[in-house]
Amino acid sequence: MDFLRNLPFFSIMLAMFTGIISSAVNGRTARRLTLTMVTAVLVMSALTLSYTEQIGESVTYLMGHFPAPWGNEIRFGTLEAFLALYFSIIMLLSVLGGWSHVITDIEAGKENLFYVLIDMMMSSLLAMIYTNDLFTGYVFVEINTIAACGMIMIRQNGHGIVAAIRYMVMSLIGSGLFLIGISLLYDVTGHLLMVPAHNAIEQIVTDGIYYTPLLVIIVLISVGMAIKSGLYPFHSWIPETYGYATPTASAILSSLVSKGYIILLIKIFYRVIGFNIVISSHVLNALFAFGVIAMIMGSLHAIMQTDCRKMIAFSSVAQIGYIYMGIGLGTKAGMVAAVFHLLTHAATKSLLFISAVGLYEVSDGRTDYLGLRNAAYRNRVAGIAFSVGALSMVGFPMLSGFISKYLFATAALEKPHKMLITLVALIISTVLNAIYFLRQVVTIYSGRPGEAASTSHFIKEAIAESTFSNRFASIALILLNLFLGLFSEAVIDLISRGLNLFA
Amino acid sequence: MMQGILIIPVLFPIIAGIAMIIIKPKAKVYSPWFIEGIVLLNSILVWTIMLTGMGRGDGAVLFKLTYDLSIYFRLDGAGMVFTGLVSFLWPLATLYAFEYMEHGEHIRSFFSLYTMTYGVTLGIAMAGNLVTLYMFYEMLTLVTFPLVLHDRTREARRASRMYLYYSIGGAACAFMGLVFVLVYGSTTDFTLGGVFGGGAQGVDHNILLAMYVLAFFGFGVKAAIVPVQKWLPAASVAPTPVTALLHAVAVVKSGAFAIIRLTYYSYGADFLRDTWAHYLTAAFVMITILYGSTMAVKEIHFKKRLAYSTISNVSYILLGVVMMSPAGLVAAFTHLVFHAFMKICSFFSAGAVMHRADRNYVYELDGLGYKMPITFACYTASGLALMGMPPFAGFISKWNIVQAALSEGGILGTCAIVILLYSALMTAIYMLSVTVRAFFPAKDTVLTANDGVSDPGWKMLVPLVIFVIVFTVMGIYAKPLIQFLEEIC
Amino acid sequence: MMNNNATLLIPIILPILCGILTGMFGKLRLRARYKGIAIAGMLAAEAVIVILALRIGRVFVVGSINSDIRILFRVDALSRLFGALVAFVWFLTGIYACEYLKKDRHFDSFFAFYLMTEGLIVALSVAGNMITFYMFFEMMTMLSFPMVMHDRTHEAIRAGLKYMFYSVAGALMSLVAIFMLTPYGYLGDFKAGGILDIEALTGHEQVLLVSALLMIVGLGTKAGMFPMHAWLPTAHPEAPAPASAVLSGVITKTGVIGIIRGVFYCIGPRLLAGTWVQHVWIILSLITVLMGSMMAYREPMFKKRLAYSTVSQVSYMMFGLSVMNSVAFTGAVSHIVFHSLIKTTLFLVAGAVIHQTGHTRVDELKAIGKEMPVSMICYTIVSLGLIGIPPLSGFVSKWYLASGALMSGTTPYSWLGPVILLVSALLTAGYLLPVTIRGFFPGVNYGVGTPNRAEPDAIMYLPMIVMAVMTLILGIYPGFITATIQLIAEGIF
Repeated sequence: MDFLRNLPFFSIMLAMFTGIISSAVNGRTARRLTLTMVTAVLVMSALTLSYTEQIGESVTYLMGHFPAPWGNEIRFGTLEAFLALYFSIIMLLSVLGGWSHVITDIEAGKENLFYVLIDMMMSSLLAMIYTNDLFTGYVFVEINTIAACGMIMIRQNGHGIVAAIRYMVMSLIGSGLFLIGISLLYDVTGHLLMVPAHNAIEQIVTDGIYYTPLLVIIVLISVGMAIKSGLYPFHSWIPETYGYATPTASAILSSLVSKGYIILLIKIFYRVIGFNIVISSHVLNALFAFGVIAMIMGSLHAIMQTDCRKMIAFSSVAQIGYIYMGIGLGTKAGMVAAVFHLLTHAATKSLLFISAVGLYEVSDGRTDYLGLRNAAYRNRVAGIAFSVGALSMVGFPMLSGFISKYLFATAALEKPHKMLITLVALIISTVLNAIYFLRQVVTIYSGRPGEAASTSHFIKEAIAESTFSNRFASIALILLNLFLGLFSEAVIDLISRGLNLFA
Repeated sequence: MMQGILIIPVLFPIIAGIAMIIIKPKAKVYSPWFIEGIVLLNSILVWTIMLTGMGRGDGAVLFKLTYDLSIYFRLDGAGMVFTGLVSFLWPLATLYAFEYMEHGEHIRSFFSLYTMTYGVTLGIAMAGNLVTLYMFYEMLTLVTFPLVLHDRTREARRASRMYLYYSIGGAACAFMGLVFVLVYGSTTDFTLGGVFGGGAQGVDHNILLAMYVLAFFGFGVKAAIVPVQKWLPAASVAPTPVTALLHAVAVVKSGAFAIIRLTYYSYGADFLRDTWAHYLTAAFVMITILYGSTMAVKEIHFKKRLAYSTISNVSYILLGVVMMSPAGLVAAFTHLVFHAFMKICSFFSAGAVMHRADRNYVYELDGLGYKMPITFACYTASGLALMGMPPFAGFISKWNIVQAALSEGGILGTCAIVILLYSALMTAIYMLSVTVRAFFPAKDTVLTANDGVSDPGWKMLVPLVIFVIVFTVMGIYAKPLIQFLEEIC
Repeated sequence: MMNNNATLLIPIILPILCGILTGMFGKLRLRARYKGIAIAGMLAAEAVIVILALRIGRVFVVGSINSDIRILFRVDALSRLFGALVAFVWFLTGIYACEYLKKDRHFDSFFAFYLMTEGLIVALSVAGNMITFYMFFEMMTMLSFPMVMHDRTHEAIRAGLKYMFYSVAGALMSLVAIFMLTPYGYLGDFKAGGILDIEALTGHEQVLLVSALLMIVGLGTKAGMFPMHAWLPTAHPEAPAPASAVLSGVITKTGVIGIIRGVFYCIGPRLLAGTWVQHVWIILSLITVLMGSMMAYREPMFKKRLAYSTVSQVSYMMFGLSVMNSVAFTGAVSHIVFHSLIKTTLFLVAGAVIHQTGHTRVDELKAIGKEMPVSMICYTIVSLGLIGIPPLSGFVSKWYLASGALMSGTTPYSWLGPVILLVSALLTAGYLLPVTIRGFFPGVNYGVGTPNRAEPDAIMYLPMIVMAVMTLILGIYPGFITATIQLIAEGIF
């Protein structure tokens, strides 16, 4: 089945190509194209996954005719394939979930542009997952940034544009730092392909030269990616961005975009620099510290919000903190926990944004805390979906968030120095999460006594507005969450094996 | 071994409850007999399992969350005590709730959640390892807090939020204790004597003890220990069947039961004895007893007074637990069982008064004893029993606690005895002052306000009387129970 | 050995049952007269049954609750004596009460508790071990305090609650003793001289001593011993006269009986004699004797004065017990009997005075003797008895007390005790006799015409006469009582 080796390349190309075509067709066709493309990518990734599982090692795929170390390469193993599969699922469900809003939020005539952006984003995500070359990575990072910016801005209202500009500025700073880091790396190692670069670095370390530059490289790359993924204190762009974009965009941005950068960062840590070297540079400790701070500050900010969208956005800040905390632990178990949480968060955040939209729809478009009273009775599916998402965030057993918490806790036990901080942070974070999420859940299920009856007059209209696709997406995401919660062993195993092959 | 049958009593009420919410019956509300039937059926099933010995065995695995974390049920001696207690009380409480809720709103969701709570509590009782216990513990929070929220008034919302936050915080702390047992102990399965037998390798004992204390207070949230007890008096705003069953029996007893499991069956009493963790937890337990008893005397809201009494009494159970000895465990179980009956009787009497006469405050109860004689007679009996007057059951459980305290000796033992007796005196005051008001109203009180009040219907009275009979009989004829408990421990 | 004699249960259950029936069916509109007759009849029957059923040596084991707690009844000489006393006093006071409360709204509730309390006191006098005693002691507290609250005024309710509070606190103190000493055999069947396992106790003497003191002070609450005496003067004025009568007359004695059982039948005098516990006990009792008399002397309210008198007198008994020899013991126990009769009479008189004239203060009682001669003559007789003037019964008990003290060898109390007793006797005269004197000799300033005869009904003064006569007879022929007690004492020492 060597043919399957081509699939990752195909998926990237397909995504780009669809984007190009979509720019020429109208909105509906563009949408259909996108959906088809994503489904196709999904299937292709599934096939790739089974292929890599079969052969049990990672495959390096030459792009073009130039072999390493001059040409370009794609590399994929179990983890990459799985991530591609997972992200395509989330992408699909996000598009489905926010579909009706795309129509209302975007100017007629510009809808296809939105789908172009989604296609671009898909391709850049896949590329970041699969690439084995640093510069290619950078290129697609930039493509990703532009696509994301476009998605934020497409709503063309005041908030959206301000948010987009803010995002652009921060993100480009991040990319800039990343670029400088890569340049230095090229300078020091003379390679852009990851594996040769790694060999060169190992040589450098044993020789004992270029110590400071190496440190600077690591710092620059880490900070660059941290800014782009929204680690505290570089998170200020998140609330506005996620808050005011159209639902599909919010879902994709919070679930996928930041994750792509994190995956790239992990890849560089493992494959280029070498995890041991990273540990010895103590950069991980800084990431750990910021991760913990993010966990707490993100939640604290969320408690203070009255607008539901911003609340969910700040929650993302906290969750990114979890991931960085896991990375910062510096152990294999910590990384597994971080990657698992990456998956959890992707699923849960999409779920939250999509179901929240379902609730706003039936509350006359209001998104503030009080306006959503009794919303759950008007849109049952959205209510249940939101509750499940909230409970998963809090870490309720049987849901994916619990497994994340569990993995983080057990990983922390291996590191006595960081253990206490981690555990305390987890506990405080759980309580804080409970405070704002469950407060919201209570609100959507209860108004003043007897209020439910009085809102019945616009219930019928409201329910009609909430669309089938939204509900379908919500339910699918709930099932995904439950799957991760109940059948996590398979996934954890996969991640573990994948990480082994990653390096 | 056909152990799968253990799963049924847990899942059946949960599923039934969910079905009740989803499926709208024709008559808008489910027939009370249907609901009662479900609960009763489940109880009969449970008792059959226990009595025919089907319960003994290796347990039934429901599913596995990960390799290490499996959800499984097993009915050992301790589990049987709690299971038996819960399943005996639930049908009676449901019966009581019918009359109480006759005129309330949201009846369908109320009974649906009430039934689900039954299943969840049984899940806690029959949990075979710490993970299962934890999971059902979290679920208990989830199904009970809407019950607290039931009236949807502002106090109800505040109270339910407080309950929720405290519970989740507590569960998070308990979770950390769980993780430690998992990693450093041999298993999370409940084994009498603990799973740290070989002395935990690779970690400082002090850290393990700190985690124990964390988990103790984490589970202790539900058991209302100082300093995490504030939610219980606030939750008194819930309808009486909720406060009575849940906060006198299911929720607080689950908290106490979880601590028992944590102490004797996970960490192990010998591991914990005479450590700083032992003394710290014992100190807080004793502070709670003092706090609960004293606040109860000061409190003038009837149900809140009983809530403080619960705080104090659940810490009697914990006092037995912190003796870290088999005798202590026997004492803890004894009081767990007896107190459930006594307290539920008190709460139900209070509820009957509130329901029939609409009086919430102690000073409003003058002279009601003549209008509601059976109710207040039952209340008085429960008051005397709680106080520890022989021949009621309360005396026996206090006796056992004291005996356990004495064999421990030292400052711990002496303090325990003094505190228990102080609490008994306070109990006499706060319980009996109500009785005195009810039956001996001062000469000049206007009693016409009491016209039209009468004893509640049979659905409320029958459970009350049954409870009185039980705790009276148990006071006299406690031997079989005590023997059973001693065997377990 | 275990000849379970169920007849023992009859004198216990009968009054309780009648009490419950009275409480439940009292609402039936029977003429008070019929109710009164029924109650009087029952009380008389009870008295007879007590004498018949409480044969020495009879045992009834109810059962064991757990390995330490066994509930059983056993009759010995002390049980028989006290049981008979209770039945007798209850009968006489009961008749009085039927008349006194004839028009009272809460007639039924009073008698319900009255009868139930009697049953419980009989139960605790035949209690065979400390835990049985404790159980019925507590129950008796619960069922007797409603009698204090009978009038339903705010003060009465508060007084009743104070009584209950103190009693429960005291009972709980004795419960500590039970808890601490159970391992040493404290809960075994009563045996004269003590039943504790002495070997097991070596090394734990302080535990024993502290527990003993707690038990003494705890049960002493009921007996009104300092420092737990405060409930007595509050409760007595508020309670109706028959209730005060039995409260002072009998119920306070249950505390003394408890202490006798605890000290002499469980712990044993040998273990306590000469210890600091004994010293403390003696001091507390003497303080109470003196303090009670002094407060009585100064008290203007009639019933409160008698209440303080009780405080003082019961501590005579405590003193006699604390000295721990057989003579003083005899004095103490005989004083139980004699003081019961005397104090009951005093309260009945006080009640009669209030009932007939409404006067509650002593200074209002001028010329009372002319208005109620029969009552006042009875009053005078028993007062003299209380002061200790021969040939009345009080003299006998005081004699024994004093001689017991003198020969006890517990310096300095052996002479200090009798001195205080003497002083107290003088004060007793000072607080009791002025009523008589001013009653019969109101003085020239008393300018009222012929005072009306306000003698109460014969039903009310007959009991007084009976008890006054008994005081006289027992003073002249105390042998019956003292012999019995001396037998008891011999068993102990």
